[in-house]
Amino acid sequence: MSLLSLRHLTTEFYSGGRWLEAVSDVSFDLLPGEILGLVGESGCGKSTIAYSVMRLLASNARISGGEVWLGDVNLTDASEDALQDLRGSRLSMIFQDPMTALDSLFTVGHQVIETLQEHLALDPPAARERALDLLRQVGIPAAEERLKAYPYQFSGGMSQRIALAIAISCHPQVLIADEPTTALDVTIQAQILHLIRRLLVEEQGAGVLLITHDLGVVAQVCDRVAVMYAGKIVEFGAVDAIFRDPLHPYTQALLNSLPSQGIQRGALENIRGRVPSLDDRPTGCRFHPRCPHALAICREEAPPLLRRDGGQEVACVLYD
Amino acid sequence: MSSTINGAEPLLRAVGLSKHFPLESSLLATLRGAEAQTVKAVEAVSLDVTAGQTLAIVGESGSGKSTLGRLLLRLMQPTTGQVLYQGNNIFRMNRRELSAFRRQAQIILQDPYASLNPRMRVGRIIREPLDIYREGTVAERNKRVDALLERVGLNSAHARAYPSELSGGQRQRVGIAAALALSPEIIIADEPTSSLDVSVQAQTLNLLAELQRDFNLTYVFITHDLGVVQHFSDRVAVMYLGKIVEEAPTETLFAAPQHPYTQVLFSAIPLPDPSRRVNWDLPKGEPPSPLDPPPGCHFHPRCPKVMSNCSTIAPRLEATAPGQRVACLLYADGAN
Ligand SMILES: Nc1ncnc2c1ncn2[C@@H]1O[C@H](COP(=O)(O)OP(=O)(O)OP(=O)(O)O)[C@@H](O)[C@H]1O
Ligand code: SF4
Ligand SMILES: [Mg+2]
Repeated sequence: MSLLSLRHLTTEFYSGGRWLEAVSDVSFDLLPGEILGLVGESGCGKSTIAYSVMRLLASNARISGGEVWLGDVNLTDASEDALQDLRGSRLSMIFQDPMTALDSLFTVGHQVIETLQEHLALDPPAARERALDLLRQVGIPAAEERLKAYPYQFSGGMSQRIALAIAISCHPQVLIADEPTTALDVTIQAQILHLIRRLLVEEQGAGVLLITHDLGVVAQVCDRVAVMYAGKIVEFGAVDAIFRDPLHPYTQALLNSLPSQGIQRGALENIRGRVPSLDDRPTGCRFHPRCPHALAICREEAPPLLRRDGGQEVACVLYD
Repeated sequence: MSSTINGAEPLLRAVGLSKHFPLESSLLATLRGAEAQTVKAVEAVSLDVTAGQTLAIVGESGSGKSTLGRLLLRLMQPTTGQVLYQGNNIFRMNRRELSAFRRQAQIILQDPYASLNPRMRVGRIIREPLDIYREGTVAERNKRVDALLERVGLNSAHARAYPSELSGGQRQRVGIAAALALSPEIIIADEPTSSLDVSVQAQTLNLLAELQRDFNLTYVFITHDLGVVQHFSDRVAVMYLGKIVEEAPTETLFAAPQHPYTQVLFSAIPLPDPSRRVNWDLPKGEPPSPLDPPPGCHFHPRCPKVMSNCSTIAPRLEATAPGQRVACLLYADGAN
């Protein structure tokens, strides 16, 4: 059933002479035909999860525990060769900065066509036809001419369309999108997110892990969402349920701190204090120093992520 | 254009303000006698900022909103037009007048990482405007720094820190404290919270709202975040490719946006409410290059309501209702 399974994933960085946990014991399943949102504030470990799955971690990082399964392949102990084959075919990724995926030295056409030839074993004319088709699908006008252009000749929105075209070219089962629209204008963001949903999820039944810090994006395009705080998932479930009835005090505070609709001028809810740094993670529930409901026990025991009746999962003693 | 939108004389007013940047390559062309090519970053903008209120300027990248903000503070010279501060054209001010204006009009920038001098301690950064204007004795200035730190939710211990030792939200507070040092009348804030996490953004917006109440500050808020706009501003001006396409009281604008661009922009905002999912197929095309804006109404190639004369006639910004102005041929008839 599940396309991608994370089981107790734990990832560490070596920094200041010791290993620090950036992602702690994260488990979830990505299902076919869904967009799963991964939200949380800066530094909570979202990108680290993405790079752990892709096995593209920095040299000072290691997966110290848990497993990541892509179908029946255990990515955490796959060989570099096997990973090379999977990346860009069954498993694709797009980034906040689309230039990451594009080589400035080659024309866009060259890069799209090369990917197609490599992974789909198409002859050059067929690959070219398919490339044109892809550029049209992602909404690039005058695709013929655009094939001859270099990445620097494209706006941020256009580059992200091309990165998306490359990412979807080989029909991936799983797309990991790390803040793909954060650097774009809202009208372009709307178009790109719409494309992701239509081309990947609806037409191909792929699963998308969409990393964002924008709760509006989650509400608009995601089916389920994982809310992260300081390296852990604190709440997980259907988007509708979580926005209607957020259970974890952190999710509640996050939603209440949004400036928008109707609540003109009232003070926004403050979360006191600040996100703890990696080398300074609180004991027990990591949110306890900032939590308005913290009990004495919250300082000592880390609450596990538990499933409740409606299916929503939450890690907080208030719901034990 | 009315001079008294709500009866009060505006504190700050732009009249026919334009800024054209020549393209470097076109300088050569000009020498050869060809016509110079320019980017019309701001084009014939007129607007009023009422004392004690917040005017939001919204628009996507390349719409000219930051250039407009800089013109309002005379951080650059306009190609044409005026900015009147309490009735005086800031581009005609003599040194003494300008010095007084610079005390009263401050700016807060988007990126607290880039806008603070990394080699200066926080205390120095906040004291610097006081030093420049020789406010009081050094001891008095230091006392003022402590009070300002306190006011923005930091404490005197932070005065000794370097910006790199602070979080993004704390750095933005330092920027706010420095802007407040000379007790300004008006603050232009260019994307003040867009590099901050939502919880830190909430703290910063609350602080700015409190300061406005306490000191009767006037804000011009330049932003692309419509949630912030709705929460924070009294009036909104929407820019597209250098021009204001719509201007209205915040409530009116959000209840019934009139310009097709405003409507498209609003429909593209991801509302944090899954029960109100919108059709994101709507906005079409990319914003055109400011180098080569489409003729007529700049928005016509992307406009869902485009008419035959939209590509030839440039609509003027005209009143459609009290306090509301729209630049669109759909409304041109009823306007006068
Ligand atoms: N190469 C590295 N070496 C040491 N620490 C790192 C490294 N990369 C990331 N970190 C730390 O790991 C934590 C998680 O970082 P990560 O980039 O995954 O966060 P994120 O949720 O993606 O944040 P953002 O929203 O800012 O992108 C942070 O505290 C970060 O500082
Ligand atoms: S476990 Fe305790 S501290 Fe953590 S969120 Fe729940 S109540 Fe707050
Ligand atoms: Mg990240």
